[in-house]
Amino acid sequence: MTFATREFQPVSKEEVAHIGTDPVPAAPYYKPEYFELEREAIFKRTWIQIGHVCEVADPGSFIVRPFEVAKASILITRTKDGGVRAFHNVCTHRGTQLVEDAAGRRSRFSCPYHAWTFSNEGELLSAPDFDRFYVDKAQCGLPEIAVDVCAGFIFINMEKSPSHSLREYLGPLAGDLEKLPHARATAFSEYVYEVNANWKLTYDNFQENYHLRFIHPRSGELAGGPRNPFGYPEKYGFHDPHRTQTIWSNPGATPPPFQSFAFAKAAEFVMKDGFNLADKEYYGIFPNLFILGTAMTPFSQFIMPIAADKTRSIIRLYWIGEDDSASKRFAREAAMTTALDIHSEDRAVIEAGQRGLASGALSHIHFMSQEVLCRHLMNQVDQRVRAYQYECTPKGDTA
Amino acid sequence: MNSAELSLPKGFEALEPFVESWAIAGANNRLKARLASEESERVAFFNIGKELVPAALELLDRKPLDQLDEKEDRLMKLVLSMAHIGPAVEIQKDHEPRHAKYARYITITRASADDNPGPAKR
Repeated sequence: MTFATREFQPVSKEEVAHIGTDPVPAAPYYKPEYFELEREAIFKRTWIQIGHVCEVADPGSFIVRPFEVAKASILITRTKDGGVRAFHNVCTHRGTQLVEDAAGRRSRFSCPYHAWTFSNEGELLSAPDFDRFYVDKAQCGLPEIAVDVCAGFIFINMEKSPSHSLREYLGPLAGDLEKLPHARATAFSEYVYEVNANWKLTYDNFQENYHLRFIHPRSGELAGGPRNPFGYPEKYGFHDPHRTQTIWSNPGATPPPFQSFAFAKAAEFVMKDGFNLADKEYYGIFPNLFILGTAMTPFSQFIMPIAADKTRSIIRLYWIGEDDSASKRFAREAAMTTALDIHSEDRAVIEAGQRGLASGALSHIHFMSQEVLCRHLMNQVDQRVRAYQYECTPKGDTA
Repeated sequence: MNSAELSLPKGFEALEPFVESWAIAGANNRLKARLASEESERVAFFNIGKELVPAALELLDRKPLDQLDEKEDRLMKLVLSMAHIGPAVEIQKDHEPRHAKYARYITITRASADDNPGPAKR
């Protein structure tokens, strides 16, 4: 692997000052009241990634996903016409959760309580002694949720009639994402951890490199170097409400021998799949998804809010095809452990940030120019929260 | 040691002492073994393993993965454990105990190397 050698120029303060320069209020990072507003203003009315098409590859396959921030459980099915559908995992009789399994193959779902049985298209097929009810079966279908797919990622939107299609929402990024390895993925590896911190504080950790040399002194060594000691990205992109950064590659980086061996194995397969090793775009899809576009480590990170101070982080590395050789199996395991080594080091400091903020000691926090993506996220969140608050304000006659 | 006592394919006798600790099924179990290990154990395994992994992969690549015999399957598991031990020995070095303290909160819920990984669990 060779990289053009040239001087690194960090993005200047002036270039990103239009996103804002003021101190940022601290309360939205810990107040439960603000989290409640985010729940309504963002998570119940925005396209949210919930899975990948490779999890429901064949007709009859399904997955069930908890979606705590919307207080919901989501059933995603692949129907016989090849379509992907999403429903609330709730029996329409008396609201019992319908499917207990996290995934499987089944084209019918029977409620454990009174055996109401639904098709994977949401239709109520049968219910014991139904003549004694006062309702038609046709009115008892599973409550459907808007669903669409981009780059293999399944997105849902809890809004009854989403104001924008997924394509409109992703804008020009939709086309970029479709070119990534994730779009062709048929398998993945996954690791998960929970962190006692707000989702924004968790998300922000992964959209600034300022912390790299302090929190990842060893695992992040290759990303820094004398020319760019903080490992800042080459550039930032703002695609409201989303954002991107172009990862900088340290041309002087020399991985140790065994890691080099593992990298070389991985690179061999990436090139066979026809991906460009130079691609290094990192996408922050609003509100809570990251997608790293590099062919060597094609991952996604999904930051699932659970409570104002509790978050689940789900990281996946996507693969095209099953392991078909020992070398590929080794290369994939090594790519996973390399990414996992870095991800595992952030949790403690994110929690320390939460403890500090929750004390109420600070009214405001400060973002510098290389933390502009964190600022941009907060701007986007706050705009939506304010719009929602305005929407909820009684609009009486002002005369 | 005669060949009947060997648990690995011929040519990999030097890895025999590490089979019990490092021929581990399941990526999450391999991660946990790394995090629970002592530096001396890691270094001893890594120093022998790094020399033999290229030859092991060359041998194992000759067969489809589902046709590996028991000895080859054990060797595959050792190679996969090297993917976990490598970062500890080569990158984290003396920072590994601190790193392990943080990494224990992570669970590998699915890995391409695991047979029948099943649905991703939450």
